[in-house]
Amino acid sequence: MTRRERILGVLETAGIYGIAAVLVALGTAVSPEFLTARNLMDILNAVALLGIAATGMAFVTFSGNLADLSIPSIMAFSGIIAVAALPLGLPAALVLGVLAGLAIGAMNGLVVGRFKANPILWTLAVAFFMEGFMRFTWSNTQLYPDTRPGTSGEAFIGIFRLAVGPVPLIVVVMLGMFVLGHLVMTCTRFGRESRFVGSSRDAARTSGIRVSRVVFLNFLAAAFAASIAGIFLTSMNKLGVFYLGQGYDFRAVTAVVIGGIMLSGGRGHMMGVLGGVLVIGLLTNIMTFLGITAFRQNIITGLVFITVVGLHQFHLRARGKDYA
Amino acid sequence: MSEHHPPTPPPPTSEPALPGTALRMAGVSKRYPGTLAVDNVDLSVYAGEVHALMGENGAGKSTLMKVLAGAFSDYTGRIFVGSRLMELRSPAQAKACGIGMVYQELSLAQPVSIAENLLVGRLPARRLGWVDRPAMLAQARRCLAQVGLQHLDPLTPVEEISQHEAQLVEIAKVLNACPCILVMDEPTSALSREEVRRLFQIIRNLRKRGLAIVYISHHLPEVFQIADRVTVLRDGRKIGTHAVADVTPQSLVQMMVGQAIDEFYHTRRHAVGEPVLDARRLTRYGFFHDVSFALRRGEILGVVGLTGAGRTELARSLCGLDPLHAGGVTLAGQALPAEDYPHAVRSGLVYLSEDRKNDGLFLRLSVTRNIASAMTVPHSTLGVYMPGRDGPLAREQMGRLRIAAPSPETDVGNLSGGNQQKVLLGKWLATAPKVLVLDEPTRGVDVGAKRRIHEAVFDLADRGAGVLLISSDLPEIVGLCDRAVVMRNGRLIGEMTKDEMTEESVLLAANGQEAV
Repeated sequence: MTRRERILGVLETAGIYGIAAVLVALGTAVSPEFLTARNLMDILNAVALLGIAATGMAFVTFSGNLADLSIPSIMAFSGIIAVAALPLGLPAALVLGVLAGLAIGAMNGLVVGRFKANPILWTLAVAFFMEGFMRFTWSNTQLYPDTRPGTSGEAFIGIFRLAVGPVPLIVVVMLGMFVLGHLVMTCTRFGRESRFVGSSRDAARTSGIRVSRVVFLNFLAAAFAASIAGIFLTSMNKLGVFYLGQGYDFRAVTAVVIGGIMLSGGRGHMMGVLGGVLVIGLLTNIMTFLGITAFRQNIITGLVFITVVGLHQFHLRARGKDYA
Repeated sequence: MSEHHPPTPPPPTSEPALPGTALRMAGVSKRYPGTLAVDNVDLSVYAGEVHALMGENGAGKSTLMKVLAGAFSDYTGRIFVGSRLMELRSPAQAKACGIGMVYQELSLAQPVSIAENLLVGRLPARRLGWVDRPAMLAQARRCLAQVGLQHLDPLTPVEEISQHEAQLVEIAKVLNACPCILVMDEPTSALSREEVRRLFQIIRNLRKRGLAIVYISHHLPEVFQIADRVTVLRDGRKIGTHAVADVTPQSLVQMMVGQAIDEFYHTRRHAVGEPVLDARRLTRYGFFHDVSFALRRGEILGVVGLTGAGRTELARSLCGLDPLHAGGVTLAGQALPAEDYPHAVRSGLVYLSEDRKNDGLFLRLSVTRNIASAMTVPHSTLGVYMPGRDGPLAREQMGRLRIAAPSPETDVGNLSGGNQQKVLLGKWLATAPKVLVLDEPTRGVDVGAKRRIHEAVFDLADRGAGVLLISSDLPEIVGLCDRAVVMRNGRLIGEMTKDEMTEESVLLAANGQEAV
């Protein structure tokens, strides 16, 4: 590796945190209230759901399967099941909620891993199916937990509002998920094999790696993270309904890709994704300070995604590395 | 840029342009980050000659030809087509200058008809963009006739014709643009000997028509058959240009490797031990039938046959990568489950893919990661990966195979073909296999790397592993194998001992002649 390449490599990993630093400086310039502990915690709180979902999405992208577009429906479904199971007690409801999400992930993993379906089309179809299924089963209505004092429903809607000292529980969970995801991606056989599968599925197969099992586990990881995010989201909204989670598919892919896990697979790492999530949070927060409305914020987030993907393609080509 | 024709005198160069010079490259250099891939090369090619370009992998042949194809906008030096100075900064410019490239990898769209592939980009059209079918068919037939494929229906999809025919269609497609300079990069690497003979006839016809042909090949005999002059590159520099009549295979190889070669094959023989692999009545319908053989420890067993005889399919099913419809495989006394390649790898039966770029290597990962890629299970404890073992493993294989990489962290995609192939072999040597199945282990690899790979295979056999070698390279089969089985149309039709094997006898046997 030449010195120039090494510097480029460092920039590539540090880049997203560099952008975050620039945004912090920008935010400080925009408003005196920006750089306060309270606002920074608000930012973390606001991106926590996205961050949790992105840890799972990162595995799917990392292993060369582009994106899991069924993440919104997994979030909604796990929430609905958890609410429906509340009469069984809170722990059982949470476990069943996660299991419901994992069931969808297992199906995705089986179909994409074993039967080699196109991941985008398959998960898009699952999202479409699940929306219809949830509307049909729950008659197109919202599912409210029983929130009278002393019930498991009250505890359930309290989950989102719990805090560890000054830090909201959801932020702790998000950071925990990133640490866990980072360890799984770098220190386990599964993470190592995911990198190989992401780099070249065919070469992984001829290296004796059980590709279908690795892909299966990647979709399971995505569904696990989405289920946790879904339960927090449902707790936050105090109701379970099919449309919760909408938009998290694209926002999670954006966080993953600007965090340096390329859509071509096999590159990047989890800490970059955390940086991507933070950048999205900072950007949204600053735009809010500037009084930019939600729809315009969507436009800007979309432009950021397009720019990052375009820049990365250009960067790869400039280095003569487009042998993907 | 002046577009005037002569009498503008050509600028002074190191070599005077002779009349009939179709192409002259003067002082051409191309730098990649970190390496000077082509270093101040002069090359002249006359109209009506076949000019062989030789050199080890990484010598700069492909890069030089890519310059010619307009792949780089940042080369230095001057290129004259005819007597005019040309700027070849883009593929379109190169094409407009009359340069046609035939690559090793086919550029044909498989499900699309031959005719549309041939005429892509210039389909004869009527008003409103409708394709003029009769005109298209007539043009396609004319193109096909140029390469001796008049018997093919132009409407056949490319995926339905043989690889050899597809190669010729590729050439026809390039010829259709009426190039004055034709570059062929290893056009025979996938062809059988009979097919090569036919291709050479076509090349001779093109030469007669005054085309300047640059022919890149690793096969010495081919160069002596077809080329008029030969230019040898080494380490990006030109070593020399000679008339083929003035050189011998030995002198050519010496120019290429910069050192003398000796006959090291015939001195090697190893002790053959007890059977380690037993294949019984293997059948995959449509590919091979009722194939049985045994492989002993320390033995190198060749599988001889023509392209399409079913050798690769047999190897892949044997290891569990592809289905097996009948029969069983026993490795060191243990029956292997069918279609479970990960299990086979863990048990010590490994397969070196014939296609390193597509399913052999992880081109975007480092040398270290590639060499450790088959070791994810032994390098893990309870699911936790121990990365500390990767580095020593990679260094050991890099040393043993003399892999020339700037560092163990270099992406494999940045290495030359020979070094890539060494990495692929190193990955399997690192697993200490009981049986190594090699499928074309030195295809498209330079002399030096080939020698190194052969030495490593010998060492592995000396240490008691069995080796199954599939190769279309006759000297390789004859030099390495202790024994060979002959495969034809999906069946084993004979066996040859080391003493019976010569290049001629192996070739005859592969063709089904009664030489066994």
